Amino acid sequence: MLRKTESGSPSRLSRRDVMALSALGIVALGQRTAMAAGADGQLTWAVHVSLAPTWFDPAETPGIITPFMLLYALHDAMVKPMPDKAAAPCLAESWKMAPDGLSYQFTVRAGAKFHNGEPVTAEDVKFSFERYRGTSAAMMKERVKAVETPDARTVNFVLKEPWPDFLTFYSSASGAGWIVPKKYVEKVGDEAFKKAPIGAGPYKFVSFTPGVELVFEAFDDYWRKPPTVKRLVFKVIPEEATRLAALTRGEVDIAYSIRGELAEQLRKTPGLTLKAVVIQGPYWIYFADQWDPKSPWHDQRVREAVRVAIDHKAISEALTLGFSPITNSIIPENFEFFWKPPPAVYDPKKAKELLAAAGFRSGFDAGDYYCDSSYSNVAEAVINYLQEAGIRVKMRPLERAAFYAGYSQKKLKNLIQGASGAFGNAATRLAAFAVKGGAYAYGNYPEIDELYAKQEAELDVAKRTELLHRAQQYIHEHSVYAPIWQLAFLNAHGKRVGESGLGLIKGHAYSAPYEDVTIKK
Amino acid sequence: MKHYIIRRVGYSLLSLFLLSLTIFLFVRVTGDPASLLVEPGASQADIDSLRHQFGLDEPMWVQYWLFVRSFFTGDLGQSFYYRVPVLDLYFERLPNSLLLAAVAMAMSLVIGIPSGVLAAVRVGGFWDSAGKLFTLLGLSLPSFFIGLLLILIFTVTLGWLPSSGSGTIAHLLMPAFTLGWYFAAAHMRLTRSSMLEVLGSEYVKLARLKGLPEALVIGKHAFKNALIPVITLAGINLVVMINVAVVVETVFAWPGIGRLLYEGVTFRDFPVVQTVVVIGGSMIILVNLLVDILYALIDPRIRLES
Repeated sequence: MLRKTESGSPSRLSRRDVMALSALGIVALGQRTAMAAGADGQLTWAVHVSLAPTWFDPAETPGIITPFMLLYALHDAMVKPMPDKAAAPCLAESWKMAPDGLSYQFTVRAGAKFHNGEPVTAEDVKFSFERYRGTSAAMMKERVKAVETPDARTVNFVLKEPWPDFLTFYSSASGAGWIVPKKYVEKVGDEAFKKAPIGAGPYKFVSFTPGVELVFEAFDDYWRKPPTVKRLVFKVIPEEATRLAALTRGEVDIAYSIRGELAEQLRKTPGLTLKAVVIQGPYWIYFADQWDPKSPWHDQRVREAVRVAIDHKAISEALTLGFSPITNSIIPENFEFFWKPPPAVYDPKKAKELLAAAGFRSGFDAGDYYCDSSYSNVAEAVINYLQEAGIRVKMRPLERAAFYAGYSQKKLKNLIQGASGAFGNAATRLAAFAVKGGAYAYGNYPEIDELYAKQEAELDVAKRTELLHRAQQYIHEHSVYAPIWQLAFLNAHGKRVGESGLGLIKGHAYSAPYEDVTIKK
Repeated sequence: MKHYIIRRVGYSLLSLFLLSLTIFLFVRVTGDPASLLVEPGASQADIDSLRHQFGLDEPMWVQYWLFVRSFFTGDLGQSFYYRVPVLDLYFERLPNSLLLAAVAMAMSLVIGIPSGVLAAVRVGGFWDSAGKLFTLLGLSLPSFFIGLLLILIFTVTLGWLPSSGSGTIAHLLMPAFTLGWYFAAAHMRLTRSSMLEVLGSEYVKLARLKGLPEALVIGKHAFKNALIPVITLAGINLVVMINVAVVVETVFAWPGIGRLLYEGVTFRDFPVVQTVVVIGGSMIILVNLLVDILYALIDPRIRLES
């Protein structure tokens, strides 16, 4: 029986060790446990969340990114984000929008097959759209008048009115464009489909044990290329330290979500590689009372003081090992129509000057700072910097659901540390956070509303881009928000992994596309 | 006796009703599950659509009525998170919890009872002090700490045992020991105090005066009687172990009911939390009812007094 010494070389156990362990009855076991990651042609993931069978069915895709962890293996979409493009042709060979913006025509890829060998047809595309009942279903179906299938490889989506964001929702913000086999689903029914799903993705379903593991096997007829790894195994390990232990020991090859000190530990462990993935989740401080003339936040100089008082880079270093980029925007940088603002500035002296100019030479008691309690570590860091500048705030951490309920019901006051990981593009984000009537907008600026209204009716991409850029520029110049960072999701892989797939697709938190994942030779 | 049983069954049903009402209200106090099933910043329309799908837009009393009715129809609804029938989830996890609880219980009895006897026989001696330390640590160390410590030693450092999961006996050892230690400590304490009480009784003194060997006095006369309260406690503990191994199952990714409950709480999966709590509560109520009836059968004073 061997163990590793500090130098890494194996050594024999001491008699004392054996005695101590004998007392626990462990030595009597006399066996080493099989290593899951030892088999050739297999990679094992330690995932941080419980996998739900509902994620095997694109029709039920909720508004969270997690199901896409599995969809990228099991299924394929007409158009989806890929390493080279945010909207890459997949099961659709090509598509075109009608000049009046009232219809989109897709051509189904020749030779694309489902796992049961049947070809992907236009009927499957229509069926999958109509069957979709996920988060954005109501909105999409309200705007789509009809889905026509003139032949086996042509699908026309006819819209009631021009909708410039149709492709954004169809390709990335919903599960409506992920295709399931119509004949098979109709034959077995929805429930049986979730138990034995068939898709057109690079991996076939093998088995699923709820709460334990999920196994996929390579589908050699996948249209893009046959996957190089034969089997994928996803093991659910909810505890972060246990995931790291499993990775260290080689029980798993890739581990999701290893944060803080454990990530630091991981970085120092030989043979393990830390892979940070920047997700589409910017964080910011929102000045909820900026429209109240009596509030100090009404003064743009005070809002600017907050922006320059925070050392964004230091916070990113301390909490995410510097992997969370300082994008200085509330729009994710990988989103369509993103406007790149000037870099964030950390200038505590200027913060004090701005406050003095606004009449707060000795600083001021600035009231409450609301945040989602799971990110109170970010809030603590920010508050420390504000304190240094003379802006004295009290942290009010709220449990996540309560926080977002309060935020959207506009019950929170003063300063709100917000974030969003919702799908979409710059326009959809502005609609929620900056435009009059937005779900999280506590007030509005007519200039932004006007730009937003214009872009909504604009089909010319260049003109639309310009309008949306101007709206983002306005937000930046008027310090409507004080952006903090765009969150990085810290993952890791072991030494057997060649290409982990982590970070290949911008904004995607998990390994993908799976057909690109490799084991080292 | 008949009246006694009817009254006890009545109390049990009342307890069950109160439990169902309490858990129904408590899970709803924790917040809206719809907001956890969308990304932060999702539109109100998306959140409303989920609330409608889960029936959370119905008035509270309608939701409670549907919940109570579900227990009579046997259809406890679908998990919000897994979107599969809750009972399917429960019965998939139950064998794992039974296995873990059985092994942890066996460990706790194998460790707890002999050490309790030894501590009672050698009061104030080395084994008694060692037993006290063992008890103190078992009862006071949080199970997540013990679990992570074991992983650090046996997985990371020695590489002998798998960190997590299920399927082999090696997977079972660390979670069973982590869960069993607390109960071993409880069993040890009770065995010790029970043994001390019995050892001081008149009939043990008589046995000693008769000149019986000490091993026979302890093993035959004292131990058997001292064991009765320990076995009663172990029975109730077994039910508790099945239902509350939340932390242990989470640390070791053991797919039991405790983890199901943890997932239910994390995602505010009301049907899951309600089902796990009500079934777990029902088990405890049922065990107590059976114990009450058995006591009454054995000791007529109990049924006459009540």
